[in-house]
Amino acid sequence: MRKIVKIILLLSCGWSNAQWEGKSATVLPNGRHEIGLFSPFKMGLRNTSEISVNKFLLMPSISYKSEMSQSGEWKRAYRLQFTYPTLAMRWLQSPLGMKLGEPDKFALISPEFTIPHMLSFYGEIIGTKNLPGNGIITLYGGAGFALGTNKLENRATIDLPGFYPRLSVYYNGVVLKSGSEYLYQLGKSWSYIIDYDMFIMPNSDGRYAFEHKGIIVWTKNQKFRILFGYKLFAGEYPFGSQAHLIPMLDLQFGW
Amino acid sequence: MITKHLIGYKSLILFGLLISSCDPLVNEFNDIEEAIMYRANNITEFSAKDTIKVMTWNIRFGVARLRFFGDGCGDRVILKKSEVYEALEDLVEKIEMEDPDILLLQEVDVQSKKTGYIDQAQWLVDHTDFNYGAYASMWESQIILADGLGRVNTGNLILSKWELDNAERYQLPLRGDQDALTKYFYLRRNVLKATVNMPGKPFYAVNTHATAFATDETKQKHLDKFKSILDGIVAEGKNFVAGGDLNEIPPNASKMDYCLDDQCEGESFHEPEEYNHKEGSYFAPEITWLDALYKSYKPAIPLDIYGVYETKHFTHSVDINLTLDRKLDYLWTNTGWFNGATHQEAIKLSDHIPVSAKWVVK
Repeated sequence: MRKIVKIILLLSCGWSNAQWEGKSATVLPNGRHEIGLFSPFKMGLRNTSEISVNKFLLMPSISYKSEMSQSGEWKRAYRLQFTYPTLAMRWLQSPLGMKLGEPDKFALISPEFTIPHMLSFYGEIIGTKNLPGNGIITLYGGAGFALGTNKLENRATIDLPGFYPRLSVYYNGVVLKSGSEYLYQLGKSWSYIIDYDMFIMPNSDGRYAFEHKGIIVWTKNQKFRILFGYKLFAGEYPFGSQAHLIPMLDLQFGW
Repeated sequence: MITKHLIGYKSLILFGLLISSCDPLVNEFNDIEEAIMYRANNITEFSAKDTIKVMTWNIRFGVARLRFFGDGCGDRVILKKSEVYEALEDLVEKIEMEDPDILLLQEVDVQSKKTGYIDQAQWLVDHTDFNYGAYASMWESQIILADGLGRVNTGNLILSKWELDNAERYQLPLRGDQDALTKYFYLRRNVLKATVNMPGKPFYAVNTHATAFATDETKQKHLDKFKSILDGIVAEGKNFVAGGDLNEIPPNASKMDYCLDDQCEGESFHEPEEYNHKEGSYFAPEITWLDALYKSYKPAIPLDIYGVYETKHFTHSVDINLTLDRKLDYLWTNTGWFNGATHQEAIKLSDHIPVSAKWVVK
């Protein structure tokens, strides 16, 4: 009996931790809120769905995730996301508001280019399954499209890890994405997450991008957790292939 | 179980570390390091010559007279690939017409965002009669956080019909008039030296591009270092052909102040104080800095010839100004030149003019 209770506790712990992770098919309970230093603000809604909003106000983005009917052992959900990148991209042309030629401008996009009004739409299907032991696996795949991109100059790309694949939809009109995440509960407070994302960017000078992260998670309670680990970026850019490895840290809060 | 899983994923982490890019954000270079070597796709054999033609040319990263923002009054930053290829083809046409045996190029871009990520060094070696190249970057950064410049790699290139050997990049002092952050992301100029393995008669080729905008003694240090490398070759009992964009006017130049000539819209110089000069446009305090080179070595255009035909030997004008107004580009040797020429007909191909001369191989 004690063994059964222990298994139930561990499983419940696993699922409850999944609340923290935005990639699984599990949605936040109605009324729960989560936010992180480097993750968006999320809020659980009625009817097993959640809404997520980008904190960076110059890049307004809203996504809606809703659970679907379960298929065998797979819990399923879909996610829709709308993003308006124009303000952020214009800001990146002159973050400090200085004129052309000032050496400390930090501009990532040349001010010579016009950034038009654009809107992207991304939709994906998510499947999550409990594995024997304390593991949870999530698979997802989707496609993104963008409107209003025909006036955007292809030379205005930001050829940096993270930026390039995420903004590629505005230069190419379409992006395909798939990925997977494995979460393993190591005990009451500790877990780790291994994931990858694959971006396919048709018609782009850089055709693909692969991102993988490995993070250890320490969960104090349902109000706070720390994530730390690394993130690997590998992919093609207009100048060729390159890989970068960076450390990762995030502090997340829930209530 | 925890240990087992951690060990299982340790290999994945290690794999990630192994394939990660260890390239620094900015390449800071060692004092002396090997140059980057290039080889043409198709090699044409050239026999040894008694007389060779040498040419130096600052090609302005293959953007001709387009209004690039960085060195004039322009507003262009990221050029179209087609514009760069067109400019490169025009450069090659002129190079083929002059047919130098050794070509010293400055401001050659290698996979820079501003010029369409074209490897101009490889493109030039593949589209000319040259078989070999040696490249030394003066500015190599994965990202320049200004004006959307992005990835930058630009530098000096020696092209040769004969194989190049022992090519070395010598670091020149950094500008002393910049703050630490600007200095970190700024240019690291160099002297590039290589042995030209002409059969039976090897000699040295040396190429440099001195600072343009320093307001302190950095340029003097660059010229001194350049000369000391040439002195070292002579001390070995060897001969050299050398040159480049020295960003300095001859000691007998008739004009030393170009602040108002180079002034862009919205700029103002000589006011409110007379000593308010534009960086890189006021040469009066440094007018003697080429004296040592002129005293020790032979220029392709001797000072007396320059003094008489000064305007015929101007090699530079800023931006889209097609009236050449100063000489910044030079060829030097420890032996002697003949048929020194300043090719002002190439005025539309770059903001600098090529200088060539013939050299008797000893």
